[in-house]
Amino acid sequence: MRRLATVLAWAGLWLATAGPAVAVSPAAKEKVLTAASKNLIEIGLSYRGDQVTFFGVNPVPGADLVVRLTAAKEEDIKLSVKGRVGPFWMTVKQYEVSGVPFMYKIHAAKPLEEIIPPETARELELGYEAIRQKMKLHLLRGEAAADDADKVFQGLLKIKEEANLYNIVTDPRRLEVKEGKLFKHYFRFPPAATEGTYQVESFAFVNGELVGYGRDLIEIRKVGLEHLLTYTSQNHPVFFGIFSVLVAMGAGLGVGFIFKKGGHH
Amino acid sequence: MEIYLPIAGMSINFFLVIGIGGLVGFLSGLFGVGGGFLLTPLMMMIGIPPAVAAASDSCQIVAAASSGAFAHWRLGNVDFKLGLVILLGGITGGTIGVQLVKVLRAIGNFEFVMKVVYVIMLGLVGSAMFVESLRTIRRSRGAGFDSAAVAPSQPRLAQLFARLPLRMHFARSGLETSAIFPFSIGTIVGIMAALLGVGGGFIMVPAMIYIIGMPTIVAIGTDLFQIVITSANVTLQQAIVNRTVDLLLALILLAGSTIGAQFGALAGKRLKGEQIRILLAIIVLSLTVKLFLDLVLTPADLVSLAPAKGGGH
Repeated sequence: MRRLATVLAWAGLWLATAGPAVAVSPAAKEKVLTAASKNLIEIGLSYRGDQVTFFGVNPVPGADLVVRLTAAKEEDIKLSVKGRVGPFWMTVKQYEVSGVPFMYKIHAAKPLEEIIPPETARELELGYEAIRQKMKLHLLRGEAAADDADKVFQGLLKIKEEANLYNIVTDPRRLEVKEGKLFKHYFRFPPAATEGTYQVESFAFVNGELVGYGRDLIEIRKVGLEHLLTYTSQNHPVFFGIFSVLVAMGAGLGVGFIFKKGGHH
Repeated sequence: MEIYLPIAGMSINFFLVIGIGGLVGFLSGLFGVGGGFLLTPLMMMIGIPPAVAAASDSCQIVAAASSGAFAHWRLGNVDFKLGLVILLGGITGGTIGVQLVKVLRAIGNFEFVMKVVYVIMLGLVGSAMFVESLRTIRRSRGAGFDSAAVAPSQPRLAQLFARLPLRMHFARSGLETSAIFPFSIGTIVGIMAALLGVGGGFIMVPAMIYIIGMPTIVAIGTDLFQIVITSANVTLQQAIVNRTVDLLLALILLAGSTIGAQFGALAGKRLKGEQIRILLAIIVLSLTVKLFLDLVLTPADLVSLAPAKGGGH
């Protein structure tokens, strides 16, 4: 059901962006041919993140390339802001944050402001400033302060960057382009990148004008025991609770038999 | 070797987790305590979300206590009637505790409350143990030989509780006392079990011996019996209400702690009781200081992620 909704949402988005009303519409441009070393990442027992290599052909040789990785889902998250209460630091207010991507990475050969004007960056949601403008804050509890939006956004960036879910790298070594045509780079998916669909979009610009666009989808999903435990715990909590207790008791008694003396006492 | 914990939603070094389980198991084998009160803070220190740490530790405690409880049951060391009264309290407390965790997580101060309770509890237990073992060491040096029980019994308190209404006869413990006290201590320990992910033996056993007046061996057997059921209740409730039980984490911890406990018990035979206790007191007190500093020092991150629902989701 959710997958269907996602597909419909993407179709809607495509229709919306394909219309002539939008000044810079990625879908209307020439196709940037791309391919990924794999389109499915499986989270198994020994998962510790994964790396996917992407290849592409620049439609206009020499055009500036910007590659963006985002999660298909947008995230509604709750952020706690700590403050001083007497001698202690504790949560004093909470914000619901919406409109920000779960994951956001950009690779380009040079700084974004040297490639596109700020309006285009905002329109195509390229760069942190564009996310900041899209971010919506809703105070859940506590008292709002004037600099909260800034504080929350900086806090969010820090959390995401530490989890390696956000980063912007503008370095020619990170995005190799051979003779202005063939490009190759990789994205690292950290362990914190949970199940879901991720998209890697390649934008080609000439003099700040969008001339090409391409998109790859990467799917991450839990498999085997990881899938079973997560699915059961979240969807059948009563069964999972009873199961956990029984497994724990069984394991405890089994261990007791092995060591005979058993137990911690 | 990295292992991905499905509910905590993170990848962590397998040997680190099993090592911590082993360390806590070693200490619990050495000191004869459950070790849950050390496990939860250590889990948090290596980055497991606090709510997942507490819930998974409860699950691990079910496993760790059940083998001991079974052994004591076979030896006839369980006072089922008294255990049942404590249990009623424990289940009431555990259920209240899990709801408390839910509310505290929603307002974003679960970690704060948890640390405050830990600081108070570990501070009290650690200092009491430190003072007591220091006194014993001094006394044994002075008198040369004195292995008598250290903490003074509190007959006045025991008498006071015995006078309360709802008197019952507990045959196995050879006691005639009010059911109110065992029930209330069960409730308090139940709440702590949910909030902190502890079994509560380190509070329950002294209370049973010194306040209720039970024989030591029956106190330990009955305590283990009630821990299994109380922790099972907490695990079940956490799984249903907060969805934070990471079974994989619990099983790795169990494997570590079981092996550690065997070595701990061996090491325990070579050390004097008071030396062991002063060592444990120092460990507990340093943990207290660390947690206290967490509460008062300016945190590195003023903005943090609040769990919307579920463990790492």
